[in-house]
Amino acid sequence: MATVNGMRGVSRVPAYVVMQPTTLCNLDCVYCYLPLRAQDRRMPVEVARAVAADANVWAARDRFSVVWHGGEPLAAGREHLGALMAPFGPAVEQHVQTNATLLDDAWCEFFAARGVRVSVSVDGPEDLNGQRVSRAGRPAYARIVQGIAALRRHGQSFAALCVVGDPRPGVASRLYEYFLELGCDTLGVNIEEREGVNERANAHDPAAVRAFWSELVAAWRADPRIHVRELEWSLRYVGAVLDGTSGDLLPRELDPIPTVGHDGAVVLLSPELAGFHDPVHGDFSSGNVLQAPLSELLVAPRRTSWVPEFLAGVEACRETCPYFGFCGGGHAANRYFEHGRFDGTETEHCRNSKIHLLEGVLDHVRRP
Amino acid sequence: MSDALDRVVDRIRDVRGELAPLLEEARLARLARSEVPGADSSAVCAWNHFENIPTFFNWNNRPR
Ligand code: SF4
Repeated sequence: MATVNGMRGVSRVPAYVVMQPTTLCNLDCVYCYLPLRAQDRRMPVEVARAVAADANVWAARDRFSVVWHGGEPLAAGREHLGALMAPFGPAVEQHVQTNATLLDDAWCEFFAARGVRVSVSVDGPEDLNGQRVSRAGRPAYARIVQGIAALRRHGQSFAALCVVGDPRPGVASRLYEYFLELGCDTLGVNIEEREGVNERANAHDPAAVRAFWSELVAAWRADPRIHVRELEWSLRYVGAVLDGTSGDLLPRELDPIPTVGHDGAVVLLSPELAGFHDPVHGDFSSGNVLQAPLSELLVAPRRTSWVPEFLAGVEACRETCPYFGFCGGGHAANRYFEHGRFDGTETEHCRNSKIHLLEGVLDHVRRP
Repeated sequence: MSDALDRVVDRIRDVRGELAPLLEEARLARLARSEVPGADSSAVCAWNHFENIPTFFNWNNRPR
């Protein structure tokens, strides 16, 4: 069989860094993986300054982004988020992933002034959005919609991330129509995952998941205005297979995707691991940007016994899985939270989001 | 084993004819979205650089 290249080892230079301006979130979504989301631990500006020292150098050489994640990044407040963003030069792209509930005119002006790209988390129409609730357990939907209306008023383009708890036929076309109406230009569809403090089972009927993806292709095809991450990648992969170039489609190395926690602690590859502790691997952290530059932590990651174990898992995928050229070997957090270790291969997540996805796309074109 | 590993690729090749119009529609849709070199005003920008789509809209090896 043709060798699938790529994903060999971890790059020393990231394409982006995930920053946690506060651990706090004003929502309490049923499936959330964040352990400290009820507490307001804010990132000191020194942490942002330390990261920016490297980020500004990386951005001068290549595209580089900072993603303000959380917690809910807007819960940090404009003044503090602005102070955290300030050390990053204009070449650094800044992104915010927000639950949208705090978005208002002032936030839209804040983003426009800084060229910040916005992505909102919303799971579809009200009845599909029941997992996104306030601390009191009340639906957040009305506030999410209000926040998105502010973005639209300001002509701010935005992306959306959607979590699907029950992937089955009937859901996909409703979702796609909803996001067309919502006006996002890009959509990522995540089948709910078991990770972090979310321990709900995520096994779904394979036929239903395939039918979900297949239906999404049909809905998208009728009006392909939105860039749907899952479909773009599937089509790009099948196109490369037909051209005979699929062996070289994956990135050469894994991106380390450092997540910098509120306190400066760095976790590589999976932000979902930040804040957890394992008897063997400790806190998964590679060090702290207040003690050593991020670029140094990426070259000589300390206390990261789990990274080699994860890379062994990626190699096991390459050796055994016919979907590797499409998938690239899955995510560290999914392996850990499903298998209790990093060197396994198939997970519920990869079945739902990779294998059934590709099969659903093929089902779509094979349909009578 | 090698047969098993080639299975998916073979099945994709089996539906080459059916995939062709879908791939063409996707290409035209990208053009319509200005996902072409130099276009960087959208939320995620420059879609032609698939590997380099920053952040959560990157496909491989991404957090969510
Ligand atoms: S689909 Fe699953 S088993 Fe296959 S390469 Fe991806 S993570 Fe590994």
